[in-house]
Amino acid sequence: MQSERTARILPLLAPVHLLILSVIVLPSLYVIWLSLNTSSFGQAPSFVGVQNYMRVLADPAFHSALLNTVVLVVVAVHLELAVGLGMALLFASGLPFRRFLLVAVLAPYAVSEVTAVVMWRFLFDPDAGPVTLALRALSLPTLDWSFEPSHAMVLIGLLTVWLHLPFTFVIVYAARLAIPAELYEAARIDGATRWQAFRRVTLPLLGPAMLIALLFRYIFAFRLFSEAWLLTKGGPARSTEVVAIYLYQEAFSFNAFGSAAATAWIMVVVSLLLAGGYVLLLRRGGISHAH
Amino acid sequence: MRIERLLVGAGKALAVAAILFWSLFPILFIAISSLKPGQDIFAVPPKWLFTPTLKHYAELWRSWGVFFEALLNSLLITVGATLLAIVASACAGYVYSRHSSRWLSASIVGLIVVRLIPPIVVTLPLFPIVNALGLSDTHLVLILLYATFFVSLGTVLMRTFMDQIPRELDEAASIDGASRMTILFKVIAPLAMPGVLAVAVFVIVFSWNEFLFAFIFTATRAKTAPLVISEMIGSIDGVDWGILFAASTVQLVPVLLFVVFMNRYLVAGLTAGSTKG
Repeated sequence: MQSERTARILPLLAPVHLLILSVIVLPSLYVIWLSLNTSSFGQAPSFVGVQNYMRVLADPAFHSALLNTVVLVVVAVHLELAVGLGMALLFASGLPFRRFLLVAVLAPYAVSEVTAVVMWRFLFDPDAGPVTLALRALSLPTLDWSFEPSHAMVLIGLLTVWLHLPFTFVIVYAARLAIPAELYEAARIDGATRWQAFRRVTLPLLGPAMLIALLFRYIFAFRLFSEAWLLTKGGPARSTEVVAIYLYQEAFSFNAFGSAAATAWIMVVVSLLLAGGYVLLLRRGGISHAH
Repeated sequence: MRIERLLVGAGKALAVAAILFWSLFPILFIAISSLKPGQDIFAVPPKWLFTPTLKHYAELWRSWGVFFEALLNSLLITVGATLLAIVASACAGYVYSRHSSRWLSASIVGLIVVRLIPPIVVTLPLFPIVNALGLSDTHLVLILLYATFFVSLGTVLMRTFMDQIPRELDEAASIDGASRMTILFKVIAPLAMPGVLAVAVFVIVFSWNEFLFAFIFTATRAKTAPLVISEMIGSIDGVDWGILFAASTVQLVPVLLFVVFMNRYLVAGLTAGSTKG
């Protein structure tokens, strides 16, 4: 009986699991083996133990890439959550043309990283960009992103917030809509001010959804590659590299597959640690309010 | 009291204006600029009244023929990846929705975890393998990659949507002598259409826009539209912004319209995909 059932469901499960095994799981495991060897193209790998990890962890270029990534993730993702929360509350407070506004907010979701870079590069062009000109006209500081690494990081951050705000907004907004109106009614009858209602009703009930949005965005921002690559290629002088660009350079520019693989596993471990928190949350069932 | 309401209203209107500007201005700006004649693109202050021209589009057609081949590649790859991802996810999602066992619940946690592995990680081992198999620079390799990175989310979404379809329907069809495949594709899939469409939105937007895999695994034959645009950015001195705006607009408009029309499924997919695990 049991094996008959297995025989019936296996063909249906096979495509998904074969794809994932062959394209993601086995290659990822193979990366562990790669990370314990030195190898480059046309050269037999030789076992070196954790030497690649030591090399990467001691590399100043890796430190700078890691620092850039962490600052970017922490600043951009929290900014995004704050703005997304504000927008969700604004939408929930009742707006005319809500469907139209929702679609407008979703629009950047459709934009590719490449096209977004075209837009933002031109808007912030140091000579002719409309935003640069507007800032200059108002005597505000402009972004000199092609020379000043920190300015380039600001632009990468803005770009990534622009691309992903729709995601964060939708998660928080859906959770806000799921809060029953009676709770606010009850709070009002109990004499709660608006701030108290926000503090005691909205915020605790949105908590799980905001945490989910944060974790997802941490994980996705940590692997950020295209925006940074297309804006600066990590330059000038590797100063705007993020971890994914460091990995790419090691593998495809310097042919150092061993240290690239070590970097890759450092990325996997960080992502899985973040994911561990997520799975723990799911298991606790703390997300039941979030949809 | 009335003044307070007025102030709140004004504040809201201002916030809405800021949101609209933030979300739409960059998009409208390049779409409009792509129609501006030559020097008007750089006019200070920006010109909003001009005679629209298709000059940049004609120029794009003449000097970047490869862009239109790349659009076709993008279309083929997007269609292939979407079909593969939907069929595979629907089959697996059906099993997860209708059966339960320790193995099944363990493997769905596995699916969630796999979603969190950064795609750049698998490029390292796959790059030599793809070359050795002669799959480098083919549509197939991108179809497989794009579909695979969405089947885990797709399976979870399909399960969530199929859970809402009563099991009695399966049983009734099964009593009528329908096979398992017939039940899935004739009875369940049509009712799970919102789920299918939610998965389709994710895969289509991702495959049409993806850059990293296309950058690493294609060179000429299977090059996608975003890759060609990135080459235009790279040669910014030789190419004028007008052509770049035209190409970006051509790449963007179809997927933007798609997202606008499918916004309900996108929202449903985003919320179900991140909260139902």
